[in-house]
Amino acid sequence: MVDKIKVDNLSCYYNRKCVLESLNINVIQNEILSIIGPSNSGKTTFLRALNRMNDLDLTYSRRGEVYLDGGSIFDISMEDLRRRIGMLFAMPTPLPMTIYENIVYAPKRLGLISKKSEQDALVERALKDASLWDEVKDRLKSSAMKMSGGQQQRLCIARILAINPEVILFDEPCSGLDPISTVKVEESMIGLKQKYTIVLVTNNVKQASRVSDRTVFFFMGKIVEIGTTDKLFVSPKEKQTEDYITGRFG
Amino acid sequence: MRRIIDTIIEKVIFSCGTLSVIFVILIFSFLFMESFAFFKDFDITKFVTGRYWYPDSEPALFGILSLIVGSFLVTLGACLIAVPVSIMTALYISEVVSKSVRDVLKSLVELMAAIPSVVIGFIGMIVLVPCVRKLFNVPTGLTAFSGSVMLAFMAMPTMVTISEDAIHSVPWQYKEGALALGATKWQTMRRIVLKTARPGIMAAIMLGIGRVVGETMTVMMITGNSSRIPHSIFEPVRTMTAVIAAEMGETVKGSMHYKALFSIGLVLFLITFLINFVADLFLGKNKNK
Repeated sequence: MVDKIKVDNLSCYYNRKCVLESLNINVIQNEILSIIGPSNSGKTTFLRALNRMNDLDLTYSRRGEVYLDGGSIFDISMEDLRRRIGMLFAMPTPLPMTIYENIVYAPKRLGLISKKSEQDALVERALKDASLWDEVKDRLKSSAMKMSGGQQQRLCIARILAINPEVILFDEPCSGLDPISTVKVEESMIGLKQKYTIVLVTNNVKQASRVSDRTVFFFMGKIVEIGTTDKLFVSPKEKQTEDYITGRFG
Repeated sequence: MRRIIDTIIEKVIFSCGTLSVIFVILIFSFLFMESFAFFKDFDITKFVTGRYWYPDSEPALFGILSLIVGSFLVTLGACLIAVPVSIMTALYISEVVSKSVRDVLKSLVELMAAIPSVVIGFIGMIVLVPCVRKLFNVPTGLTAFSGSVMLAFMAMPTMVTISEDAIHSVPWQYKEGALALGATKWQTMRRIVLKTARPGIMAAIMLGIGRVVGETMTVMMITGNSSRIPHSIFEPVRTMTAVIAAEMGETVKGSMHYKALFSIGLVLFLITFLINFVADLFLGKNKNK
């Protein structure tokens, strides 16, 4: 039980308005941690604070610390941080190039691979890990923009796997997908747990109960309850948590 | 009643649409007819490859090679200056500064387009020409280089605004996606933003070039108007547009000289047509991707 990420008293502000207040949370190595909660409760802000995507917004400011393997994430360069902590967005974000190029894009930029044979092997491995290989192996040179939504999302997973991160952040990865694609994404998530640490933000409470080891319930920028998924869903300690997971509010 | 209005509006829109096409065809056939009459009396290869433009000598010489070279040189110089500066300006406005600064900068750049070309020519004559003469130690500052610099100024507003629009319309998700993969801001700009916006930027460049090729007043004022083939960019040149503008008023209607000027117009028309055609090819190719 090693802490991969440790969040220490983190508060986040947009235009000086507090959206996350004094969070203390830890993410254990090789677990899937789900974050659930009604919209506007700061789930995505929290996720984006972990790989400093929030820093792109000029009105954003924060207080507190986030540690990755014991070192502050604010002490390493953004590029290094994002190589170590990959992120998957709610909407698929393939880059406007071929499937093949989408996967080798980042590793090439980062200088992880150079030879053509290495690239081919990497593309195959990444696509297989994202369970997409069989569907696209014959059209790697066609544009990623022509794939279906579910395929695009899995391509984005493959793209993250290609840079071999330590942590992967999923921001409502299935919100735009049909049930079958959702199952496929969830399957690949569970498979990925062996190698990676995963933080999952989801609006789908059932999804959290299906895939995660521990679950956090956020409300109005604060943590209401955190616990193992079995416990939180079967016998929540807080009334608010129970109301939310049984669908009585939110 | 409503139906009648509908039909009338439909007819009006249709005739407006066809009118513009008809005008282009008319202009083209007019140019073509006059030039055809000219080419019956004057060999077309001598016209295009002739080095000397002496319309008043005996026999008259109508060689426009020096004019084509002049136009080409000035345009090339203007592009070399305007294209990189414009793209970088567009990137800066779109990607680096905050929204309020962006609005101000953009309207300032657009305001540049409103400066009349004669004013630009005038400023070039008073400010740039003496500087060029001293700086490069040439006998006269009225050179192709001066023309290029001032034309670059004229092309930049078009290039900047249209490229900025193209860059700004690159979906935010592309940038986020690339950044989340650990790309730096510069890598994202170069590989994702510029690549996605390329069709728009190409269109911007082509439109800018179109403006430069057709520009008359500024080049007439500051390029020296000497119909010789220049050996460097720091020599006076004369462009096709300047010849037409300067000499059309002095010719006898229907004379050889008059028809020769129309033939230059035809060549100019073909060049701009070609530029637009290439631009369209480029845009179409990228759209399919």
